[in-house]
Amino acid sequence: MNQPLLSVKNLTIDYIGDETDFRAVDNVSFDVAPGEVFGLAGESGCGKSTIAFAISRLHRPPALIRTGSEILLDSREVLDLNPQELAAFRWREVAMVFQSAMNSLNPVLRVEAQFYDVLKTHLGMTKAQARERTAEMLKLVDINPDRMRDYPHQFSGGMRQRIVIAICLALGPKMVVMDEPTTALDVVVQREILQRINELRKKLGFSVLFITHDLGLMVQFCDRIGIMLGGKLVEQNTAQAIYRTPQHDYTKKLWASFPSLHGGVLA
Amino acid sequence: MKTLLRNRKALVGLAIIATIAILAIAAPLLTEYNPATRTGRPHQAPSMDHILGTTRIGQDVFARVLYGARTSLMVGFGAGLLITLVGTVLGIVAGYRGGKTDEVISFFTNMVLVVPNLPLLLVLAAFIGQASPVVIALILGATSWAWGARVTRAETLSVKQKDFVKSAEMMGERQWRIMAFEIFPNVISIVGINFIGSVIFAIITQATLEFLGLGDPRAISWGNMLFAAQKASALSVGAWWEILTPCFALAFLGIGMSLLNFAVDEIANPRLRTGNRLGRWSLLVRNGEGRL
Amino acid sequence: MAFLFRRLAFYLAAFLAAATINFFLPRLMPGDPIQLMFSSAGAELPPESLEALKLTFGFVDGPLWQQYLTYLGSIFTGDLGRSIKYFPLPVTSVLGHALIWTLVLMGTATIISFILGTWLGVMAAWKRGSRFDVIVSVSAIFATSVPAVVTSLIVLFVFGFTLDWFPNGYAADPSLDPAFTLQYISSVAYHGVLPMVTLCTVLIGGFTVTMRNNMINLLGEDYIVMARAKGLSDRRVMLWYAARNALLPTVSSLAIAIGTILGGSLVTEVVFNYPGLGNVLYQAILARDYPVIQGQLLIMTATMLVANFIVDVSYVLLDPRLKAA
Repeated sequence: MNQPLLSVKNLTIDYIGDETDFRAVDNVSFDVAPGEVFGLAGESGCGKSTIAFAISRLHRPPALIRTGSEILLDSREVLDLNPQELAAFRWREVAMVFQSAMNSLNPVLRVEAQFYDVLKTHLGMTKAQARERTAEMLKLVDINPDRMRDYPHQFSGGMRQRIVIAICLALGPKMVVMDEPTTALDVVVQREILQRINELRKKLGFSVLFITHDLGLMVQFCDRIGIMLGGKLVEQNTAQAIYRTPQHDYTKKLWASFPSLHGGVLA
Repeated sequence: MKTLLRNRKALVGLAIIATIAILAIAAPLLTEYNPATRTGRPHQAPSMDHILGTTRIGQDVFARVLYGARTSLMVGFGAGLLITLVGTVLGIVAGYRGGKTDEVISFFTNMVLVVPNLPLLLVLAAFIGQASPVVIALILGATSWAWGARVTRAETLSVKQKDFVKSAEMMGERQWRIMAFEIFPNVISIVGINFIGSVIFAIITQATLEFLGLGDPRAISWGNMLFAAQKASALSVGAWWEILTPCFALAFLGIGMSLLNFAVDEIANPRLRTGNRLGRWSLLVRNGEGRL
Repeated sequence: MAFLFRRLAFYLAAFLAAATINFFLPRLMPGDPIQLMFSSAGAELPPESLEALKLTFGFVDGPLWQQYLTYLGSIFTGDLGRSIKYFPLPVTSVLGHALIWTLVLMGTATIISFILGTWLGVMAAWKRGSRFDVIVSVSAIFATSVPAVVTSLIVLFVFGFTLDWFPNGYAADPSLDPAFTLQYISSVAYHGVLPMVTLCTVLIGGFTVTMRNNMINLLGEDYIVMARAKGLSDRRVMLWYAARNALLPTVSSLAIAIGTILGGSLVTEVVFNYPGLGNVLYQAILARDYPVIQGQLLIMTATMLVANFIVDVSYVLLDPRLKAA
């Protein structure tokens, strides 16, 4: 692999408790190449979301990223960024789609305003410029730009998640982290959204860190996959290898718990 | 209970309440004076004879505040229990039964919530006339259950959806048994919060009603002490001990109860807890063992 | 809109309930209700006035429902009878005059403590676990747990009597004529300081705690985390994402708090001898002036309902999800 876009090395994260600490992520290392889709799979509580949060440094106390951990994006150490650099880094370089489609948008602000605050903060756009960009982004995800003055509750769950994706892409980030982006949606909408992301990715060239507990979905969507268990990355390989020749016992167990898989790789 | 004892706020709160309770029970051992009768000259400043001075009619303030604690605690816990009982029963029944029952109970609950409580109590107490502590506890129980009923109902609605309730229904369990043995144990934290809040409310309200002259003036209680002191213009004539003593007693009890209240809140809602993990976290960051 | 109309209908029912309590209470007490209600009138009231008063309160010959309708009739035509203590003043004018002072005192204190308390709660939640949070939370516990009577008396003792910084009673210098002059208004402000400080102390803790808890519950929401991930400034995330949403439950808890605020304000007025409803009521209780005591329940209920309606309207304005409904 040539120069990776994201390189996570020896990442260890604890949740500090009153007396003892809980190790959520234990010495995890992996790389994501430019334009690649990398998947992290594992059951809930295995630490995959904790990794996602760490990449944009979204953790709050009592979470603690242990010394010795490294998160490099384009060879720059994310953990060393000062507050101004961090503010500029977030969303511009790494954008994120969160677990619940229903809750990622602020219920009391218009959709337009939630685009505008990103465009203003990072690009210093005026309201008129931002509106133009918003319309462009909404069209990209098949939402009528006339609806930008609506509130989030006026959209369906699938539409809301498409809006979030549009906000994600508004600054042209190098990487999009997707933390269970489709869990709350029904299967048809789920597929439609993933297809859309895939098209956009081919067009715009960003990398994706894709996180889910749904291994079947992951194999269709990802280039490479890492399997997590109890905070450790127990296996990583190409999607095909994970599917056809799983090495680790846990990966085999995960497959055994699935009904047989239909449908091939997502085009 | 164990988690309660590990919480610092709860410990301090319990210690305060226990202290007051012990003082109240041991009152006859701590003072030789009868709280109801004249035991010295009027408005004497604190001295060896009367450690907290005397009232305008020469009663011993220390004796009155000790015996008064009995009244405050009994009315507080008695009325608190009553308020919680009514609120819990109505809340669970409304939440579990749903339909018409729920509509009727909720309508009354919301109605009681918008009729201001103190003015209502004033009217009731005024017509009853010189309400004794027991009567005050009863009318508090009758008028102040609405908040508890509302929160218990809300909690019941979410517990009702749980599988163990569904399975009890499938097995043909009687409704009252489901409410008593399936729902109630699962809304117990709300009931606890309701109880402590109601006790605080009852103590404050009883003192307020008596301070406004609606209590039975013969009862020995902190509210009546305030009423008598206010009528005797204790502050204007410089007899601060007559008024500050019951003030501090009430404040002390109030703080004890509130600390307990916040502790229970924190235990029921772990997100509110701060605990010493944040202290440990800062220490680790300072020592360079990690960052965010 | 439909939501607000439903609320209005409900408020009418609640007001009716308060009136019904007033009607039945004397009739449920042992003994003769007329004797009970007007015992304090003694020989001071001319007989024809007493007759008029009886009529107002529905003591007419005839079945109970007829008496009830008579009473409701007088209430809805704005006739609450006459005060016995301040005879021949009508209850409405005795209470109406006092209500203005109460509303000024209570309204100002509510607004000040709501803004200040909410702000403290937002900051405390945002700096969770910091020294600021600990100090604010602990002080809020102390402030909320001390009864209004006690706070008033201690404030009066310390600042009124011991330090003698502020007057100990009345709403203004009694030697001044009420007028819109600078002198009178500044006298009102000066006299208002202690009751205002007391009420704010009593109220602020509740707002702080509610807002802090609401904020903390919200800080884990995805839209807050997403706002941070967007690289927005802390200030913007705190105010427009967290506080803006945490304000909704805070505003609805304000509706329930209004009753407590009213109660606190009554007591404070008694302690500071402030000419508001609380004081009038205290005098009425001492004199067993039942028409005034009953009238205050109606006026307080009406005040509470209006305040609730204002809260409803602001809730609808604050939450776009309700506007469509």
